Amino acid sequence: MDDQGCPRCKTTKYRNPSLKLMVNVCGHTLCENCVEMLFVRGSGNCVQCDTPLRKSNFRVQLFEDPAVDKEVEIRKKVLKIYNKRDFDFPSLRVYNDYLEQVEDIVFNLTNNIDVENTKLRMEQYQKENRDVIQRNKAKLTREQEELEELLLLEQQGNEQRRLDVLQEEQRQLQAKRKNKQALLDELEQSQLPATILLAKHKARSAQLETEIEQQKQSVKPTSLFSTGIQQNQTVSLVPIPRIEEVLYQYRPLKMDTYGPPAPDLGQLGRLGYLNHVRAALPQDTAGGYTTAMACHRAMQDAFSGLFSL
Amino acid sequence: MLELKRTLDAKGHGVLEMPSGTGKTISLLSLIVAYQRAFPLEVTKLIYCSRTVPEIEKVVEELRKLMEFYTKQTGETNNFLALALSSRKNLCIHPEVSSLRFGKEVDAKCHSMTASYIRAQRHSNPSLPTCRFYEEFDAVGRQVPLPAGVYNLDDLKDYGRRKGHCPYYTARYAILHANIVVYSYHYLLDPKIADLVSKELAKKSVVVFDEAHNIDNVCIDSMSVNITRRTLDRCQTNVETLHSTIQQIKETDAARLKQEYRRLVEGLKEANVARETDVYLANPVLPDEILKEAVPGTIRTAEHFVGFLRRFMEYLKSRLRVQHVVQESAPQFLKDIYEKVCIDRKPLRFCAERLQSLLRTLEITDIADFSAVTLISNFATLVSTYSQGFTIIIEPFEDRTPTIANPVLHFSCMDPSIAIKPVFQRFQSVIITSGTLSPLDIYPRMLDFRPVTMSSFTMTLARTCLCPLIVGRGNDQVALSSKFETREDFAVIRNYGNLLLEMSAIVPDGIVAFFTSYVYMENIVASWYEQGILENIQRNKLIFIETPDAAETSMALEKYQEACENGRGAILLSVARGKVSEGIDFVHHFGRAVVMFGVPYVYTQSRILKARLEYLRDHFQIRENDFLTFDAMRHAAQCVGRAIRGKTDYGLMVFADKRYARADKRGKLPRWIQEHLSEGSLNLTVDESVHLAKHFLRQMAQPFRQEDQLGLSLLTLEQLQSEEMLQKITQMAHQS
Repeated sequence: MDDQGCPRCKTTKYRNPSLKLMVNVCGHTLCENCVEMLFVRGSGNCVQCDTPLRKSNFRVQLFEDPAVDKEVEIRKKVLKIYNKRDFDFPSLRVYNDYLEQVEDIVFNLTNNIDVENTKLRMEQYQKENRDVIQRNKAKLTREQEELEELLLLEQQGNEQRRLDVLQEEQRQLQAKRKNKQALLDELEQSQLPATILLAKHKARSAQLETEIEQQKQSVKPTSLFSTGIQQNQTVSLVPIPRIEEVLYQYRPLKMDTYGPPAPDLGQLGRLGYLNHVRAALPQDTAGGYTTAMACHRAMQDAFSGLFSL
Repeated sequence: MLELKRTLDAKGHGVLEMPSGTGKTISLLSLIVAYQRAFPLEVTKLIYCSRTVPEIEKVVEELRKLMEFYTKQTGETNNFLALALSSRKNLCIHPEVSSLRFGKEVDAKCHSMTASYIRAQRHSNPSLPTCRFYEEFDAVGRQVPLPAGVYNLDDLKDYGRRKGHCPYYTARYAILHANIVVYSYHYLLDPKIADLVSKELAKKSVVVFDEAHNIDNVCIDSMSVNITRRTLDRCQTNVETLHSTIQQIKETDAARLKQEYRRLVEGLKEANVARETDVYLANPVLPDEILKEAVPGTIRTAEHFVGFLRRFMEYLKSRLRVQHVVQESAPQFLKDIYEKVCIDRKPLRFCAERLQSLLRTLEITDIADFSAVTLISNFATLVSTYSQGFTIIIEPFEDRTPTIANPVLHFSCMDPSIAIKPVFQRFQSVIITSGTLSPLDIYPRMLDFRPVTMSSFTMTLARTCLCPLIVGRGNDQVALSSKFETREDFAVIRNYGNLLLEMSAIVPDGIVAFFTSYVYMENIVASWYEQGILENIQRNKLIFIETPDAAETSMALEKYQEACENGRGAILLSVARGKVSEGIDFVHHFGRAVVMFGVPYVYTQSRILKARLEYLRDHFQIRENDFLTFDAMRHAAQCVGRAIRGKTDYGLMVFADKRYARADKRGKLPRWIQEHLSEGSLNLTVDESVHLAKHFLRQMAQPFRQEDQLGLSLLTLEQLQSEEMLQKITQMAHQS
């Protein structure tokens, strides 16, 4: 950065550390002093490319390469107009094509290729999509939303931690103070000799210390719900991606027995199996229990116990 | 063995601590190989990960012995294929390429000869350089499988030379069907490399991480990125090159760019990913995090992408211009980048992939040049993919030199479990083992997995061959400690000097002394010199010093060993966490005593460490102090463990700091050291410790034959099969 300087007055950063370089829309640098001098009237032409410039458009140069400054400026302008989001498009492919188109426009504008046409195109686009642009202005992209969320989480985590530490410290301080006060009280009122009281106090403070140590080691409660969602967070309102897969189909369970299959639930009564089972009392049926159920289970049990020899 | 078998049976993960030098490697290998032979369908592959190339070689040698034993016992040659894999630098046999010094250069050169489009171009232009070894491998190598056997790196090279095949690609190809693969951690843990090398390894593999006490740091390093001003400057040139290349290609061969564009529009994955030589940069993100979508429209065409990179780079530059330290999370960064330069999150996520595609389309061969822009794009992808477990720290200057501007952007991973998670998920058994893993429960907590077995073993010794001493006071009763307040204290420094002086008088051969940091070592050695202690020590032994420079250190080590071989021995002053403490073994007379001056805590003021501690506390409920102590103790144990490398070896371990005597520190030492730490040796003065050491050394110096160990720590076959022993073994099995 030291070797950078103003192209007009040839001052460099090395000779004047407080040198401030400015850039205008054309992407050429001037130092602050020269800007003040040349643009006293508020407008003038660029020293290097003769583009008419306004003084108010001069910005402090952020990057070493002024072209990048210019590009970022243009990009911000273009992105204000071209602010469609990925969910405005039917497929990713179309969105990508759109992104590339935006990129083309920025590229053309920065490198002064076909500026007139590009500007026309932009204007036309702006006219055609006025309402979409308006609508999207306030919205963030999905990725930005994610980022915001992460930042929020981080902040909350930090805050939580700070509070925890603070509380912990305060509690400890209080406990210690109480301990000390207790000793003073005892010394005042008790009949026991002071040495015993002091020893007691010592033991008590040692215990306190160990307690504090233990508390430090114990794991702090999390601020998570059991589902893994952070408590009191803003949930992003992005539609849930649809899962495209084959629907689940129920297939009845088929038991493999080495022998005849176990009789069906319906057949049990007909074949007389139910006669050997205690009939269900009215109380039992309240929960949905039927006589056949127990019988059926017993039958299945029996049949699956068959062996082939 | 029992625990290991249980782990394998349960198809779960395990954490095992075994003292080093007691045959850890061979017992792991022999059981897993036997398991593989018994249940060839259950366990198809053993992946053995170690840290350095010498360690890999050692493992392969052990394996070779095991295989020979099998052949001798069973009488048949088994068809096991075991091989080691390392980088191109260690495996290349091309005369020109292999003579290059740096790994990156070798990779780039190799790539410039073997990339598929280069080879395609060669059809029209035969003058382009080729690698005949790769050509040969490509022509026939795939059909001819590597014959069964055990291959270390040199064997692979030999095989390559004999057949005229490229050993690197032969090995890469062979690991798919090999039974045992030995390679470095990074091939599994670093997502950039793992994606290339270890992608197709079967699930039914057993993974062993040996010397894994540093595994959390490896995990973290593999996901972290540091960006300096220089990186950005180089990145700038890279982007310019990209830009000009695109312009050039547009004039000459516009169809190529069009084709790429079309592919991206269709959202097709790379059709030629299968070309192994082409894939030069993989996605830095873990496989399940990569978006399966088409590249967004904003960076679809090459020019737009270059513009995008330029904006991103300028943004980073403006961030690096800060005057004060900034720490922020990934979402904050993303929000700021959107406000400043209008970059969305989604294109950032695709940055690495898009760059990869562009570089391939432009057919750029020299990828080493593009490391800067690759780094930036990796950063972009990582920062936009992970919102948790990472932090961004921008420091305008280093802590030690606050006047010199040297801005660095650290994007550091704080959660080691992120990088290692796919390993645990993918492989049925993962075993983490080392000599120093105490306390055991901290590793599963940090790496976030649930081990089936977790245990720490001790050694069965015929004689107590290690003697840990904690020296807490000097002769003048000054407390010895390296804590910050007493760093400059002359009394402490003098007493440390006395300790070393006394030790140098009684210990035969080599002594290794470890300090907590380079700065501390410099201070102490300087004041020892002023106090004349160094001169006195030099009457007894020669002194060598480890420095941050690798070449200097290896020279010092060599001379140290030479000095131990003859004469009165030597002292090596080195630093915990340095090269010596991690990888160098001091067998037998090379290290008869280890002196640890102080507790090797990390530099606690570093912001990255602070952020990590905070993260550990909030997410894993590991308290700062616990972690710091744990980290310090594992390094201390690692340092003193350098001296004992087997049952016949013996050594003194002197912990010179009174803080070691505290229960919380002592309890974090490995069990095999704690066992020998008696109550009487907890808070010694220098005199007392010298007395104990004399006694110990005299006892140890008695002749010790193999027969003495019989029945205690070594069993003959008869003893092993005896009724009594078998009973003991079953009893032990029931107990645990």
